[in-house]
Amino acid sequence: MDTGNVEWKTGIRNICFGVLVCGVFLGVGAKTVEGALLEGLLDGFEETLGESAEAKGERLIIGNFYQAERPDSHGPIGVMGDHTHNKGEFMFSYRYMRMFMDKNRDGTDNVSDNEVLQDFVVTPTEMTTQMHMFGAMYGLNDTVTLMAMFPYVMKSMEHKNRAGVKFKTNASGIGDIKLASLWRLYAFEMPSIGAHRFHLQTGMSLPSGDIKPRDNTPLGNNSLLPYPMRLGSGTVDMLPGLTYTGVKHDVSWGFQAKGRIPLGYNQQGYQEGKRYDLNSWGAYRWADWISTSARFNWKQWFNIKREDGQLPTTIGPANTPIVPTAETDLRGGKRLDLLGGINILFPDFKGLENHLNVEAGAPIYQDLDGPQLKQSYSFWVGWQIIL
Amino acid sequence: MENKFRWLSGIVVLTIITGTSMTHAYEVGEVRDGGTISGQVTFLGSPPEAVHFNVDKNPEICGQERSLMKVDVRNGFLTGAVVVLEGVEKGKPFLPQAWTGTAPGEGDFQHRGGNSLGLRVNTKGCNFGPFTGVVAADQPIQFGNQDSIKHILHTFVAKGRRGSVLRTIHNRDIHPDHEMHLTVSSGKLQDSRMVRLACNRHDFMENWLYVVKHPYFAITDEEGQFVIDNIPQGHYTLRAWHPLLGLQEQEVQVAPGMAMGKNFGFSE
Repeated sequence: MDTGNVEWKTGIRNICFGVLVCGVFLGVGAKTVEGALLEGLLDGFEETLGESAEAKGERLIIGNFYQAERPDSHGPIGVMGDHTHNKGEFMFSYRYMRMFMDKNRDGTDNVSDNEVLQDFVVTPTEMTTQMHMFGAMYGLNDTVTLMAMFPYVMKSMEHKNRAGVKFKTNASGIGDIKLASLWRLYAFEMPSIGAHRFHLQTGMSLPSGDIKPRDNTPLGNNSLLPYPMRLGSGTVDMLPGLTYTGVKHDVSWGFQAKGRIPLGYNQQGYQEGKRYDLNSWGAYRWADWISTSARFNWKQWFNIKREDGQLPTTIGPANTPIVPTAETDLRGGKRLDLLGGINILFPDFKGLENHLNVEAGAPIYQDLDGPQLKQSYSFWVGWQIIL
Repeated sequence: MENKFRWLSGIVVLTIITGTSMTHAYEVGEVRDGGTISGQVTFLGSPPEAVHFNVDKNPEICGQERSLMKVDVRNGFLTGAVVVLEGVEKGKPFLPQAWTGTAPGEGDFQHRGGNSLGLRVNTKGCNFGPFTGVVAADQPIQFGNQDSIKHILHTFVAKGRRGSVLRTIHNRDIHPDHEMHLTVSSGKLQDSRMVRLACNRHDFMENWLYVVKHPYFAITDEEGQFVIDNIPQGHYTLRAWHPLLGLQEQEVQVAPGMAMGKNFGFSE
């Protein structure tokens, strides 16, 4: 009873802290500035570029912000927070994501199920993660765009034990809600060099996802599921990021660096490892309504700190490790994905812009602290409405 | 002692702020025996040809083809040049006036008049209004969209002799039959006096506004003529501006009741 109270209070405290920090970010954004943050600080640069524009008979535009009316005005659908919005503009989005993992890997080498079962009683054989993500963006002013994402996550994992018995566990529910502010840093455009835009992200992930999912396993009914099956981190996490996007004629490109940094430890006593994400993409507009993209996505994530004291990790008198997914030091890894995408812009209807975007890809490099399931493919489809 | 210092600092700052704003504010008052300046603005050479656009987006509203006459010269006279008498701090009230854009499209710039310029931009037929106009800093501009399609209003402060450096002021959607109030703040303008209007959706929608502080301005008609009347006596700078041709200045001394002729000549 006491432990429950403490957990409940910790959870509430985490959420309050997250809301408070976000509130401060948003409040500052709403009150202090109107325009890109670096506007007026780069006079020398602007002067040089302005002279170049004049010499070429062109115009230099500073702060030419978001324009929705290109199919590639948004990055590939798997990239979040890739663009900002103009003041008063709303965007609502729905994304569906499916990620499939199969076969185990240790480092960069594949490991067979039998090899895993030499050290563990159970091995995961494949995992499917699906996510329905509802998002909203709003241009609060000429500096700040607010962003919120509400995910619904469904996970299922197939296992095999030493006796050859296969079983499956499932977990589903609301994931971690993410709130962020995107801050316009600077933007400029000149016909001969294209448009270049920079923005910063400050954000928070709130611990709304279940970190105590349970399902029936051969170990017992209603067993606590291991780390990869959890729907959230259980902590308030910082979500910093920096994005650069560019456009010239029918070509557009972007680069984004983002992180997920947990603050403190969750109710179960552990902390998810930090995650870093680098995206680099290029897109070509084939017509006013369609563009295709290619994206490299580098991810690095670290092992869990401390551990969930309620999660059994060994079994029997010999303390045989149960399953790799319950080991905190077998969670880290790095991966490079290559993804291809299509963005379609529909004709506007009553002033609404509709984007339908699809993206799919697979890893071309994976180095895992294994044995750990390796990713096989990921697929995204999303609908975005701007009004 | 410390409190006294704070009070003193506060008063000094307040005085500076008040003083600064008073220095820049135009005051409407009686003008006795005011002077008049009239003249013509000419253009020598071949003006640039109108820019033609094939309309891809919303041709049912905007027309299949559009052209934009950026330098409008008729028989050697420049239409749409903004002539402003700089340096007047007190004088006549703003006049109610309206200027309509060239067809197709019936957008217009309307000035309510009185103690302020009171600009209203009526967007109609994918046309904000005439290619050139005037605007006042820190005063709300009422933008209306009478079209059944959305326009994305993009305003810029322009720098450089011919506005070759543009800095975004606003970038806003104006939905069908909607209105919005926007202000060109003096903070954004800094020392520039040129504002560009554009629509992100329709690249033939382009207009230029010169920032005025008082009603002593005129826009040249089809014969390049302008008249500025009821001018208080004093020494001023008379400016003629066109967004593509630049700025010309002349010093003028206005005496009570005096009628003065002043011409400007732009060239290629």
